[in-house]
Amino acid sequence: QTTTTTVPQGDVDTLLQQVADEAGLELNMELPSGIPSTSIGTATVVSQEQDELTQRLARLRQAE
Amino acid sequence: TEIAHSEEMPYTNNVGPGDPLLAKQKHHHRKAFEYISKALKIDEENEGQKELAIELYKKGIYELERGIAVDCWGGRGDAWQRAQRLHDKMKTNLGMAKDRLHFLANLVALSKLGVEGETERSDRKPKESPLK
Repeated sequence: QTTTTTVPQGDVDTLLQQVADEAGLELNMELPSGIPSTSIGTATVVSQEQDELTQRLARLRQAE
Repeated sequence: TEIAHSEEMPYTNNVGPGDPLLAKQKHHHRKAFEYISKALKIDEENEGQKELAIELYKKGIYELERGIAVDCWGGRGDAWQRAQRLHDKMKTNLGMAKDRLHFLANLVALSKLGVEGETERSDRKPKESPLK
């Protein structure tokens, strides 16, 4: 009774996609072989963080 | 075929998050983000404490400048292209953070001079600042 190994790969992919959507990540971005996927993830986050600062600074400027 | 291949790529394709320059850029981004996020939080609440926001903006600006100073045009590949986009975004935010810092510095200077009456009254007064 090894139920843990019977989860279909399709379900795993769907779940991954859901998590990625919620986190605002682009899972379907091209993942070049040889580069750890974590570098894609962090680079995207880094970029989003700068965008967030831009938006908040712009909002404050409008309120001036 | 190997010769043709090397002619196509004359530069060493030293991609990778492990590149020290890209790591350095990311480090300064991280620090800048922490400082400016804190500054924004105080700034957005708009309940005094502007001096603290000013200090945090200054620290964030310093980190942004150091991050922008990192040369990210020395390599090719996705990691470098992302670094170049990050460079541009940091430049945008550097300009905006500096503008905000000057605005706050003027605000604090004015309230210290008592130009606007009681310093307690910190309501925003658009377009009425005598410095503008």
